Amino acid sequence: MAAQRCGQEAHLALPGLEKVTQFEGAGSKDHVPGQLTSLLLAPCSYFLYYMIVFFQSLISGILIGGVYALIGIGLTIIFGVMRVINFAHGDILMIGMYMTYFLFTVFHIDPFVSIVITIPLMFLFGAFLQKVFINRALNALPQNQILLTIGMGLVMSNTVMLAFTSDYKILTTTYSSSSVEILGISVSEPLVVSFAITVAITAALYWFLYKTDMGQAIRATAQDREAAQLMGINVKRMSIIAFGIGSALAGTAGALISPTYYIFPQVGSVFTLKAFVITVLGGMGSIVGATLGGVLIGVAESVGGVYIGSGWKDVIVFILFLLVLLFKPSGLLGTSKD
Amino acid sequence: MKKLVALLLAVMFVLPAVALAGTVKLGFINSITGPEAPIGENLTNGVTLAIEDLKAKGIDVDLVKEDDTGKPDKSLAAFEKLATRDNVVGIVGPYTSATANADAKLAERYKIPVIIPAASKEEITRQGFKWVFRVSGTTGDYAGVLIDLATTLGKPKTMAILNENTDFGVSGAKSAKEIAEKKGIKVVFEEAYSKGSPDYRSTLAKVKATNPDLVFMVSYVADAILLMRQSREIGLSPMAFLGAGAGFSVAQFAKEKEISNGVFSSTQWTEEAPWAGSKAWFKRYVKQFGKAPTYHAACAYESMMIMGQAAAAAGGDREKTREALTTGHWNGILGEVRFQDYDGYQNQRKAVMLVEQVQNGKHETVWPLKDAVKKPIWPFPGWKK
Repeated sequence: MAAQRCGQEAHLALPGLEKVTQFEGAGSKDHVPGQLTSLLLAPCSYFLYYMIVFFQSLISGILIGGVYALIGIGLTIIFGVMRVINFAHGDILMIGMYMTYFLFTVFHIDPFVSIVITIPLMFLFGAFLQKVFINRALNALPQNQILLTIGMGLVMSNTVMLAFTSDYKILTTTYSSSSVEILGISVSEPLVVSFAITVAITAALYWFLYKTDMGQAIRATAQDREAAQLMGINVKRMSIIAFGIGSALAGTAGALISPTYYIFPQVGSVFTLKAFVITVLGGMGSIVGATLGGVLIGVAESVGGVYIGSGWKDVIVFILFLLVLLFKPSGLLGTSKD
Repeated sequence: MKKLVALLLAVMFVLPAVALAGTVKLGFINSITGPEAPIGENLTNGVTLAIEDLKAKGIDVDLVKEDDTGKPDKSLAAFEKLATRDNVVGIVGPYTSATANADAKLAERYKIPVIIPAASKEEITRQGFKWVFRVSGTTGDYAGVLIDLATTLGKPKTMAILNENTDFGVSGAKSAKEIAEKKGIKVVFEEAYSKGSPDYRSTLAKVKATNPDLVFMVSYVADAILLMRQSREIGLSPMAFLGAGAGFSVAQFAKEKEISNGVFSSTQWTEEAPWAGSKAWFKRYVKQFGKAPTYHAACAYESMMIMGQAAAAAGGDREKTREALTTGHWNGILGEVRFQDYDGYQNQRKAVMLVEQVQNGKHETVWPLKDAVKKPIWPFPGWKK
């Protein structure tokens, strides 16, 4: 509050400041270009401006990180249960984005509401992929599994490109650029909503995995496939469900990003890489780790973008990634299994 | 007998010449698909109209189209194919600065004349190349006209520059900084972002913290929309948003009027451009393709018209086509076009620039004032909640 008042004094001291434009936020009125600020007030207003910039980037990072977490959790569940790294994960997300786009433009269903349709459809899609393709390669060499998932991803992105061309699609909702201001920091409304949905879905997932019989069966399969089978768990079915959940989560993430991002067939590759970094960072197979990893990557990108340069975002993320691997090779919350 | 031989010889020389005079084989490289496709579409349509008009002039063009998806490696491959396998006389394109800059070097190597329609990176025509001609203005032209407008309408003292870290973006930012500083505007923020990020909020918050009078952006389509959306979220509200063509000049951007109203964008051509035939050409384009063209379409049209005429006059010879391009001048919807050497440029058209502003979800020509259809809205009126 002190900082706020101090900023206002700075503003009053500057009648010569020619700004015809209107500012809505308290924060924007208050900070003042260094040149014009009297020396006395300078440290105070600079402090305020640094705080605003810092919290702005921190909050954006956490909100974006929530969606990243959702992508990471999907990948980690699939890996946990099947020990298959799903390189088609980003492309599944891309399918979710296109689904959201067409539900919005053709049927006028709000992107956030449309996840009610996207989730079951993407679940079925994932289950189908598992039953028809992945299951057959479960006992194959790891490199064959990798080739299989990469191939699936290529088929998906190229099919979409063939059907809808590689043009960028932009989904504009009434709230695509809306924001609320809290203490001078503007918070994107669509990101807040998507973050809330992410939290709800993650909570539901935890409940499902830890409190229901089926969830426990999935976790048992993840812990030890053979032992689980001996205990009478239908591991094939669990695998199908796990891949379905993973795909549904990726599809949901796609739906949640759609109102604020743009959509094109190759968009998946960006997110596959991100999801991979998140899961490895958090510990392969660890759901809590993926949640943490997602938020961490989101914050690193956002804060790093401000203090080092937005062209360096990826470098920052990968340095963080390498450091974690260097000091904790199994990831933040991973347990090394051999 | 002598007469007969002479006649025979004459027929032998003249006949193929007559047959050839009508047809020239030309290449066209463009971002037909990929991230820049929304702009690429304008170039394709412009070329389509040029081919029709060349036909009306008695020049049949055998056009080989190549898609480079906006990527330099693919563009190089396309160029090589056109130069060696298809053996075209000349090439129009490619669209983006990164691809055009790469292809320019191949034009020199294969000694094949190329006209670059819309790429504006300064260096492209500053490398002492003999075979590279450019109809497009440079990023210096883009920045210059916007800063002219800003300094005439207001008294901006500070400017923030935000550009994507591509050839086009970096060149645009560099030109803007040079010109701004010459005019006594202090550049208080400069950053190159890597395109395709879902979140520019933190960068924009930093821009807002420097409280600039002008915000100058260089971006392609998708990022232009994203940047303006997030500027609105953050409440970034300077005296003016200046966009250096490209992403800010397409209809898709203007249609998002919640975030695009009031944004200025420099352009090389508009419907109201002061050159003969502009209006009629605009109408014809709209009738044929069902949407309004951007300046890219006009530049591509003019480039193909020039290349077609030069190549036909040269009888399909690459060297003679190059000479025709160096010495000739043409009059069309971009006014008089000459390829000149000046300010370190070679074979560069001196472009006359205009400025458009998005008003009510439409691009309106607002500058220079003598060609303006609407008065420029200055300063930026602020965001509506």
